[in-house]
Amino acid sequence: MHTDVLVIGAGPAGLAAAAAAAEHGAEVLLVDRESRPGGILKQCIHDGFGVIRYEEKLTGPEYAYRDIEAVRAYGLRVLNNTFVLDLKQSVDGFSLLLQNPIDGAFRVDTKALVAANGCRERTSRQVFIHGDRPAGIYSAGTAQNLINLHGYLPGRKVVILGSGDIGMIMARRLTLEGAEVAGVYEIKDEPSGLTRNRVQCLDDYNIPLYLNTTVTRVHGTKRVTGVSVAAVGADLKPLPGSETLVPCDTLLLSVGLIPENDILEPLALEFDAKTGGPVVDQRMMTSVPGLFSCGNATHVNDMVDYVSESGFNAGRAAANYCQHGGSQGSVEVVSGNNLLYAVPQRLVSGEEAAIYFRSDKTIDRVILVAQAAGKELFREKYLRIRPPEMQKIVLQPLSPEVESVEIGLEEVT
Amino acid sequence: MSAELNTVKKALAAANLAEVEVIEKQGALVLEGQVKNWQQYLEAGYAAAGQDFRGVVNDLEVEGLENFKQQCESSPEDFSLERYSFDVVVIGGGVIGCAIARELTRYNVKVALLEKESDLARHTSGRNNGMIHSTMAVKLGTKKYLYNLRGNRMYRKVAEELGFDLKWPGSFAMLDKNWQLLLGPYARRIASKKGVQGFRVLSKGKVKELEPNAWEEQTGSFYMPETGVVDPYQVTIAYAENAMQNGTTIYLNTKVLGFEKDNNRITAVRTNRGTLQAGVIINAAGIWADHVAEMAGDRFYTIHPRKGVIAILDKKTGSSQSYILGRAQLSSEAKTKGGGLVPLLDGNILAGPTADEVPGREDYSTETHELQHILDHHLVLNKTLQQSDIITYFAGTRACTFEEDFIIEISEYVENLVHAAGIQSPGLASAPAIAVDVRDMAAEILKNKMDLKENPDFNPKRKLAPQPVRLSLKERNCLIENRPSYGQIVCRCELVSEGEIVDAIHAPLPARTLDAVKRRARAGMGRCQGGFCTPAVINILARETGRQVTEICKHEPGSVLITDRTRRKGCEQSAH
Amino acid sequence: MEKRELTCIQCPLSCRVTVSGEGDQLKFTGNQCKQGIEYARQEVTNPTRTLTTTIATAFPDFPLLPVRTAGEVPLGKIFEIMKVIRAVQVEQRLKPGDVILEIIPGTDKALIATADMCEGVSAVVVK
Repeated sequence: MHTDVLVIGAGPAGLAAAAAAAEHGAEVLLVDRESRPGGILKQCIHDGFGVIRYEEKLTGPEYAYRDIEAVRAYGLRVLNNTFVLDLKQSVDGFSLLLQNPIDGAFRVDTKALVAANGCRERTSRQVFIHGDRPAGIYSAGTAQNLINLHGYLPGRKVVILGSGDIGMIMARRLTLEGAEVAGVYEIKDEPSGLTRNRVQCLDDYNIPLYLNTTVTRVHGTKRVTGVSVAAVGADLKPLPGSETLVPCDTLLLSVGLIPENDILEPLALEFDAKTGGPVVDQRMMTSVPGLFSCGNATHVNDMVDYVSESGFNAGRAAANYCQHGGSQGSVEVVSGNNLLYAVPQRLVSGEEAAIYFRSDKTIDRVILVAQAAGKELFREKYLRIRPPEMQKIVLQPLSPEVESVEIGLEEVT
Repeated sequence: MSAELNTVKKALAAANLAEVEVIEKQGALVLEGQVKNWQQYLEAGYAAAGQDFRGVVNDLEVEGLENFKQQCESSPEDFSLERYSFDVVVIGGGVIGCAIARELTRYNVKVALLEKESDLARHTSGRNNGMIHSTMAVKLGTKKYLYNLRGNRMYRKVAEELGFDLKWPGSFAMLDKNWQLLLGPYARRIASKKGVQGFRVLSKGKVKELEPNAWEEQTGSFYMPETGVVDPYQVTIAYAENAMQNGTTIYLNTKVLGFEKDNNRITAVRTNRGTLQAGVIINAAGIWADHVAEMAGDRFYTIHPRKGVIAILDKKTGSSQSYILGRAQLSSEAKTKGGGLVPLLDGNILAGPTADEVPGREDYSTETHELQHILDHHLVLNKTLQQSDIITYFAGTRACTFEEDFIIEISEYVENLVHAAGIQSPGLASAPAIAVDVRDMAAEILKNKMDLKENPDFNPKRKLAPQPVRLSLKERNCLIENRPSYGQIVCRCELVSEGEIVDAIHAPLPARTLDAVKRRARAGMGRCQGGFCTPAVINILARETGRQVTEICKHEPGSVLITDRTRRKGCEQSAH
Repeated sequence: MEKRELTCIQCPLSCRVTVSGEGDQLKFTGNQCKQGIEYARQEVTNPTRTLTTTIATAFPDFPLLPVRTAGEVPLGKIFEIMKVIRAVQVEQRLKPGDVILEIIPGTDKALIATADMCEGVSAVVVK
């Protein structure tokens, strides 16, 4: 089987990429490992999606439905329940070994590849919680899947570690379904999710949020019987003597997401240690020509609107690549003062570019400055900027002599 | 003997433990009295070891530790096994018990294996680093040495017959001081005495050449090419399934509560599921073997657990290392911390184990300092590894005696009891040889009572379920066409299909818990640690076993995964 | 009314707005702009939310249907509404926007489906 553009993943990024590639004339094959498209949005039944793109607060399934309808309108080939078993570069693109229960295992060759694999959750072992391994420890996303897709309650009295958005949203969801949430514990001194979620998921239901506190130990051997929580010092290490036992039967973890790019490993592409995803340019092309990355596989977003945006960019660029070829832009984006990261990390000159960035801490009254060789390209003021809330700016096309662009936040003194 | 008792008393006094009482019972040393802490308990035990007694029974009480002698919890009671009768009853479903059962089926004997847990290899056998050791590190003249040597050399054949994976990466015992290389000739002599084939002393440069990412501080290494790696859980299951194919009955959730005896002979085994008649009893109860020995009336050793924590690293690290990497243990002290980095069969690297003496025999909690030890002492042996590569970690306990040697013998006090106890490292490497000897000991007892013959139907080859990843594309597609569930991937990290999970659930020894499925079929073993596949596996387990999802457990009874359903009306759930 | 402290979510500043006083005499402090007053007034007089949850279906391949209230309902009635919703089962395959309950008892809002229970894209699977 052959195609122009093969898109891996039918979540919001992949759906957008597939539609955009089709719109720009490419023959598209969309491959997804689940039985229904929509990716993680299927289980995100809460609202708040699409505020930028549609100026509406849609639920996850509603947001996905619009993109699925768009893909359907193009009559694209879609393979559900299909896994990528193997992936390698070929003379004129990429060769993939796919497998599903109907077609078995088969090869597909594609000129361009869009990897919209999404992300996965950090596990309890990755945050080094000790104790035995009883039942009742779940990541927030797994709990969301169990409750929203299957109607299974993972537990009756729940402690949530981490105040990421999914954790706070699950605190509300569990409360609505009759479980008791004993508290949300956050190791940092501020919630790691959006303020709106803190207000509408925790404050609305009187769920306590404990800052500067973490879970150090799980108790129980069969089912969780409780967790030890402890205050942490400035170094985020538990303070001796501050441990207390919180009885519960469930521990949910909302301790971060990691871009999932495992299937790209054989391709030896350049990764950004700060984002955990591939280094891309504004067309979302990676260091491997013809390979594009988008959505949460590139970097973890907090707004689905930006995920879709990156998908559209990747899909359009992939279709163009099939016609004209090309490689990653060479202008380096340096993420400077007070920035956690900036994406894309490379730019193609002569084309407008949206840059997405996060600050590395909460700062009031700052100015974002983008400059090239000492010349200011862009400036914007922010009243307050917080790491959980990603920001976007748009840079005008760069002139060809620009080799690097530095972006930083300057505090107004 | 009194001279030796005096020696022990002196040793105890030297350790400031003069108040410990020492008596001799059934040829064993028994320690009585009370000590202040666990450290003293251990010191007393070791001070008493090494004399010409059958073993050390440590009955000391420890201040502030009331429960450490307590048996594990008992399973629910019924009478489903009442009056069943077997020629041989093997107690313990670890690798030793299962290997013994399989070897016994070469004879025309009726064998039962009793396991108190809901799956095999739940304890020591499933919680170790999977190494098939060379004999370099074991003391000559011990049972450990003899069985390790024979067992190691049997593995190729056993792996082929039973169809489990085995590789021989070889191991480096790295040195970190230049003068240690001077020990080379001495080490060569030791290696040749111990029968370590292919032993070499490698220079720093040679180590670098063979293993470019090896420890920065190494100054050279001893190299033992005959060090292998298996998945200890798979080995146990393989032995068990072949034993079952050849007629062994395995009873899970069945715990031995006591024995019925007629003078010096055990007539029946009392369990939570009824009393079984038994011709020969084999004590392969691992971490609880001393309790079984006591119930049988032949207690001459005490097991004290030594906890080992192991970390598993992401598969992407696998390509960074070819050999097993450890540090040379230049003191022959058995209890020093060993461990290292083992390249596993599926591409992960294993780091550990640690070694800490703990009172709890099934204490599988992990502590910060144990992880730290792995980071500081093991991870550094491959300079590309980072803490963030760790995807999971867990603990196991080693079933150590104070003599620190295996106990493989017919009981001196109970005529139809065989001990296969005190099995710690290199127990996995030794298992095939131990099984053969224990089989022969059982045969020795049986042949007086029955007409012992070879089992004409014995088939050493285990029947295997299909493994799609090992098939050619054509064969795989044929398989998927016949059963589409082999084409439906459920575990995205390890690429495990629904068909393989269903096979594990309906295997001769069925996997009925989430952890059993994980260990049989690898679903949930990968970097997301079941984050994505857990809901699907719960549904498949419920569907295949006809149970409610609220009844599906993680590992043992009571470890439920789902507490309630949120919608009363909801209809039967599908698998996806 | 006792003093209440709220976090305004109208902009990233997240002002802590303190509300005191009674009826028409509400006093607002801590807000840095007018939006804070509007937000806080609504929150202390009649807070409303969109409720999103799931209902049972008659279809094993789609056991739960995500739903929402068509518009915001009083925050204080959320648990009551959950009780009603728990007893409902969907017998037909619905699409986003399809109405399940014209009026949720105790409110003036409908309950609508938010997911597509039909096969979605897989209807056009080609190979």
